[in-house]
Amino acid sequence: MSIRRYLVLTLFSVLTLITFIAAIQGYKVSMSRAEKQFDQQLIDIAQTLLAVQRSSLQTPLFINDNNSNISNKANQITQVSQQGSFAFQVWNNNQLVIKSDNAPSHLIIPAIFSLDKNNYFSDVNFLDKRWRVIALTHKNEPVNQTKIVVIVAQPLQTQFALAQDLILAAVTPMIVAIILLSLLIYIIITHGLKPLHQLRSELSKRNTNDFTPLNLQVNNTELADIVVTLNQLFLRLDTAFLRERHFAEDAAHELKTPLSVLKINVHNIAQDFADRLTTDKAQVTSTEIRNIESVIELTQSVDRMGHVIDQILNLNRTNTEQIVRGSTGFNLNLLLQQVIAELYNDIMTKKQTIELESEDSYLFAHEFSIHLLAINLISNANKYTPIGGIIKISVKLINEHDRSIVLCVEDSGMGIAPQEYTRIFDRFYRVGGDQHNSNVMGCGLGLTIVKHIVDVHDATIKLSSSNSLKGLKVEVIFKDNHALKAVKEQDND
Amino acid sequence: MRILLVEDDLPLASALQRSLKSEGFVVNHVNQGKLALNALSTPDQDMVILDLGLPDMDGLDVLKQLRNHKSSLPVIILTARDSIESKVKGLDYGADDYLVKPFEIQELTARLRVIERRLGTANSSLICVGQVKLDTFAHKVLVSEINQSAPNKTNEIELNFSKKEFMVLKALMENAGRILSRGQIESKLYHWGEEVLSNAVEVHIHKLRKSLPGKFIQNVRGVGYIINNEN
Repeated sequence: MSIRRYLVLTLFSVLTLITFIAAIQGYKVSMSRAEKQFDQQLIDIAQTLLAVQRSSLQTPLFINDNNSNISNKANQITQVSQQGSFAFQVWNNNQLVIKSDNAPSHLIIPAIFSLDKNNYFSDVNFLDKRWRVIALTHKNEPVNQTKIVVIVAQPLQTQFALAQDLILAAVTPMIVAIILLSLLIYIIITHGLKPLHQLRSELSKRNTNDFTPLNLQVNNTELADIVVTLNQLFLRLDTAFLRERHFAEDAAHELKTPLSVLKINVHNIAQDFADRLTTDKAQVTSTEIRNIESVIELTQSVDRMGHVIDQILNLNRTNTEQIVRGSTGFNLNLLLQQVIAELYNDIMTKKQTIELESEDSYLFAHEFSIHLLAINLISNANKYTPIGGIIKISVKLINEHDRSIVLCVEDSGMGIAPQEYTRIFDRFYRVGGDQHNSNVMGCGLGLTIVKHIVDVHDATIKLSSSNSLKGLKVEVIFKDNHALKAVKEQDND
Repeated sequence: MRILLVEDDLPLASALQRSLKSEGFVVNHVNQGKLALNALSTPDQDMVILDLGLPDMDGLDVLKQLRNHKSSLPVIILTARDSIESKVKGLDYGADDYLVKPFEIQELTARLRVIERRLGTANSSLICVGQVKLDTFAHKVLVSEINQSAPNKTNEIELNFSKKEFMVLKALMENAGRILSRGQIESKLYHWGEEVLSNAVEVHIHKLRKSLPGKFIQNVRGVGYIINNEN
């Protein structure tokens, strides 16, 4: 999972969760505080009303010491029109004195007179609403044994709406803050991780075998250290490959020169004998004839040794780094003509017919390696096809959605059994394992080299039986676009 | 032909000398680049066989200095460096040919013979392959056929060819044993700017084949033409 995505999502989730919990907590606390405030408000109003009532009671108008005037008093209920949401009733000894017009005529809290409390809160339903009610009781002088009860009520709905309004006003900034913070988190993290992202894209652009130092300006210390270490590593790899290549070149030279000497000396001996045979035929002894035969064997052995050394050196030098760096565009047709020309002596010796069927086609690859590939494939065709056989080489362009070039080598030889197809690419393996045909010179590295070159070029190789010639058919398929692309990126550096 | 052999590996040098001497060449040997340049300052050599891995300087430097003195002496490079870059570099520096060790001595001598003929230092101006004799100076082609009436004698019949046909035959015979592609033959026949008919070479070959012994000139389909060495 991407670090950035992890960080952003985690921080965002944590932030949202905690803020949310805090908000809910705050909401709850605020609500209960609000309730208390509302209740306090009810008390204040009730007390105000009580005070008013008490003072008005002391005026003559309202003095009543005669119970016979009850009905009259009933007629003297004062109604107060009320703008606000409060409803109130003022009772004096079971008689309603004042009420607001949004209050009922009956005692809101029926049992209030029997209760012996000064402040009494409850929730009551009347007039189709639920109200928060306070009943404030004031006992008159013990002499009169009268009670004044002031009842003030506020709809719970109103209270709730008020509280909600307040709290939301407080909480909304927090929500906005969450959104803002999330955005900021995303931006900051992206920016912070940018050097890492740069490093990643730099590295992914490179070829697997590109060891040039990274050109990256990194501000933070951790990545700077990493880049430095990487560049050191690249340098070491580059040096190591260079060393290996030089070693291979030096080894090649040291091996090839003595081999040349051997060959020439053997040739000279053979030549001397040949001269002897032509000029002095009668004088040739049987010992000399045996010597001549030995020399012929010697020649073959030297050739064989040369072949093995060549193949081993070739196997060693077709490594990926050389190939990717050294790829060029060249005419495959021309290269094949050269290879056939080089091998023509051997082909003629076995009186074989060779055909090249191709038009000028261009391949983007490592020319030397492809040359080697062609030599090995055609040489194999020559070696394992009998005298008078046919070898056919063709190059075809396939222009489907993916352009590719197919190099095909077919022969009229004995072919290879399908079950051997995988094994013959193994090093030093020749068909038949230890029972291979030793009359044909070879060391089992040819197809290994070919496969190596094929792999490095990201191409594919297919073995099958030739329909027309009945022998082996080898097809090497180059993805033209891929080879092109790999080198184009190189050039852009 | 007098050859200057520049090679630091003594066993190889002595083996080569012996071999080339038996083929009729005169060989002088030096083992350092400086000595080679000294030797080349006098006109005693007809051509050079040059090894690239010399102890005192790179063989290519020797070649470069030689060419700078406007010497058109033929040079064959003999080296263990077989990469395409080295080959191209060698030919770019002015080498006439490039042979990679280990080589077949016959290959070397064949190329020496080609140079010999080109220089005109061959003992005769004749190129003989099989029954066909080509006289490069007299511009004549002679084919020997067995005399019907006198089996031990051979008749030499002179053939007539156009100038271009002669040049094609000469190119193929000079390079007997090596395949020449159509492009290579064309380049020997036509200079830049001269119009080449796309099948001009084929027409010439066809005409040549009509008069020459059958199978003398062989066609390798898709590759080119070859006259085989009779061994």
